[in-house]
Amino acid sequence: MREKVVTFLVELCCVYTLVSVGGAIVNMLIGGQTNNLNVLVMFMTCFIGTLVLNLHKLFDRVSPLLMIIIQYLVACVLCAVMVLIVCWISGETVDPRGWYEFYRSFTIPYVILAGYYYYRVFSDTKKQDDLIQEIQKADREREDKDVIS
Amino acid sequence: MKLNLYENKDNLDEHVDVYYSNMRPVIRQLIDTVNSERPKLKGRPADEDLDDGEEILLDPKEIYYLDHIDRKLFAYTKDGVFRLMDTLSSCEETLWNYGFVRVSKSNLINVYKIKQLKPDMNMKVYASFDNGERICVNRSYKKSFNEYLQRIRRMG
Repeated sequence: MREKVVTFLVELCCVYTLVSVGGAIVNMLIGGQTNNLNVLVMFMTCFIGTLVLNLHKLFDRVSPLLMIIIQYLVACVLCAVMVLIVCWISGETVDPRGWYEFYRSFTIPYVILAGYYYYRVFSDTKKQDDLIQEIQKADREREDKDVIS
Repeated sequence: MKLNLYENKDNLDEHVDVYYSNMRPVIRQLIDTVNSERPKLKGRPADEDLDDGEEILLDPKEIYYLDHIDRKLFAYTKDGVFRLMDTLSSCEETLWNYGFVRVSKSNLINVYKIKQLKPDMNMKVYASFDNGERICVNRSYKKSFNEYLQRIRRMG
């Protein structure tokens, strides 16, 4: 259990570092600004994303495609709860445009990563299939050689 | 592999010397045969009662995969389905050197019998066999499956 928690925290640190550095670069390029609340929301979003993706073992019986969809929906619900809590604490309300922007910035990287995962499943399987054919071919050649000897 | 046979009627100490560069599965099989330890699985036709069916010795080479259903273990071959009285984990241990690898909690497949490995549109990966059956390669076993294939290739 301790090992799993440590692994999760390491993954969370890596994800948050990448997202915050990426966000800083985008802000520098487009001249955007951020504030303390945004930084905390970004951290919480990374936390939810990492947590949800770490739950993949629970979905071992379902297909990967269904797992991706379920994980996305769970992450959406958790993010909505988080935003509502932040609004309740800060006493502010979320503009409909804000919801749209939030989910867009969450969905786009998720879809890109899901697409990459989809591609990896197919390419890895192709490699494994080639490996199996190679093993079988070597086995057949060995058997033929043994028969000739 | 070169095979030398020497016949000597006076020889009272029959023996086999094996010269090998690395311990490949074929060498392992040879040693097992000499030691009379080549694994043979005992099975009965699955469609007959356990007491009625004649016990048959199954060569691992003939088995496509092993399936564990309702606490019963079945071996699927070209000639039919046979019920085994072993456990899946003991078979996994015995057949490790004969191309059998675990791909899910209830399946052990023979990599030498896989016709094709292909993913579905829903990203589930299936190993298909000559008998038309398909076995799902579970995500949790993907890494160990890949490591096993690499190992077999290195040793082959």
